[in-house]
Amino acid sequence: MIISVIARNTFKEAVRDRVLYLLLFFSALSIVLARVLAILTVGDRVKVVKDVGLASISFFGALMAILIGTGLVYKEIEKRTIFTLISKPIRRVEFLLGKFFGLVLTLAVMLGAMSLIFLAVVFLHTFQVEFGLILAVVFIFLELVLLTAVAVLFSCFSTPILSSLFALSFYLIGHFSWSLETLIKRTPAGATRTIIQIIYMLLPDLENFNIKTEVVQNLPLPSGIWLGAFGYGVVYTAFILLLAVLVFRRRDFI
Amino acid sequence: MRKPKLFLPAIVLSLAAIAGLKLHLDGLPRVKTPGAGIVYVPTGPYVKAASFGYASFLADVIYVWAIQYYSNPKITNRFDHFIRIFGIIADLNPHWFDPYEVAALIAQDDAGDPELAIKVLEDGAARNPDQWFFPFSAGHYVRDKLKDPDRAKAYFKKTSEIPGAPELAKRLYADAAYKTMDYETSWATWKEVYDTATDPQIKKIASNHLYQVKSAVDIAVLKSALTRFREIRGRAAENLEELVTARLLKSVPLDFDEKEYVYDSKTGEVRTAVLFWKR
Repeated sequence: MIISVIARNTFKEAVRDRVLYLLLFFSALSIVLARVLAILTVGDRVKVVKDVGLASISFFGALMAILIGTGLVYKEIEKRTIFTLISKPIRRVEFLLGKFFGLVLTLAVMLGAMSLIFLAVVFLHTFQVEFGLILAVVFIFLELVLLTAVAVLFSCFSTPILSSLFALSFYLIGHFSWSLETLIKRTPAGATRTIIQIIYMLLPDLENFNIKTEVVQNLPLPSGIWLGAFGYGVVYTAFILLLAVLVFRRRDFI
Repeated sequence: MRKPKLFLPAIVLSLAAIAGLKLHLDGLPRVKTPGAGIVYVPTGPYVKAASFGYASFLADVIYVWAIQYYSNPKITNRFDHFIRIFGIIADLNPHWFDPYEVAALIAQDDAGDPELAIKVLEDGAARNPDQWFFPFSAGHYVRDKLKDPDRAKAYFKKTSEIPGAPELAKRLYADAAYKTMDYETSWATWKEVYDTATDPQIKKIASNHLYQVKSAVDIAVLKSALTRFREIRGRAAENLEELVTARLLKSVPLDFDEKEYVYDSKTGEVRTAVLFWKR
């Protein structure tokens, strides 16, 4: 109950942020302007429209999660409004989860808006609504939920600028960690390889949520990916939130 | 004290000045070296690693750029990094077929290098072994541009073995086999086409080619026997039956339509009574 009240208020606060609308505007612009890039191509133009659209949703969604998420908790501390809140019978974990779910709700609304524009643009090209594209957006949303948790975690103990940098690093590492596989293959068996393997397994792998290429080109996806990626996202998000709660509980505001 | 009335003229003036300066700068003669922007082209795996989850989108961008770049004839050395650039696109999005197809066309039509086109298609085939399009196109390049039936035969054979390949691939394979004088393969393949075709037009085509292959084999046998006859008797055979009498043949072969071959004793030429496509 308390969580939902905080979430609703966080949502109301977040949707007042002009940055959000600026990002939404640029996202919509790039989705619509995908048509220009498509005109310049030779071959399947719809493929380009879909690629650009999904990339825009993913990229601007990530920016929204980072830019809004990293300031959420910090602002409460900076503006001292946190004192009003924690003086009430609200547990810190409830406060944090409320903030998190509020931002998730904001992202869901924004992603919904971007997806509508995107699906409309695709519809104008193909005259059909493709279920696969909606699935790709759902997976992007899963990724953004995890990124939001990371943004909230850093927001608990750092300034928005540093938190943004940390969250951005998490995002980049998440899309780069798959390359450790090559390093593992090239490292001879032994302690070093085991350490790299452990790092590889624990580092976030955001490519698990990246089904954009497969969806756009109608390529087959392994049957277990849906549940596996969903579970991975939920568990990793829960883990990051747990860390955030641990940090936030120890935080001294004075 | 601010004077809001001055803002509008100031903005208009600024925009006019910007446009004027832009026109002025564009009008200045500057030495431009088309394509000089390419100093370093990274390899595909590096670009993929740096795409951070946007590999497909990045492939689109590089592809669109590549089309514009390779369409500019002023860049005389534009084909220097051709394989590398299209290789990057392939690394980023290996199952996107348009770039392979377009790259092959550019290599053939703009670079005038069919081998380069074939190299691109080979790369596509290696990354997409289940796609018949690549060996099929490569087969056409070697057949039509390089006039190499041996390689064409290999490509069309590969094509016809891939599920979903057009039935035409088998016919092209049979034709290429005929051109390499592999009559046995050509006969067997045309026979298969003939036996399995449901379209009367295809059946007719296969029948014509069976006629052609049989004629080629028979005429080769007859010519060999005629040469041997001349060596033994010191003269040309009067007719083909003489080859049987001289025990050089068990019987005079007949064409696919059970008709006799036409022999000209003066020139020594043997031919079919009709042209195979006019049957």
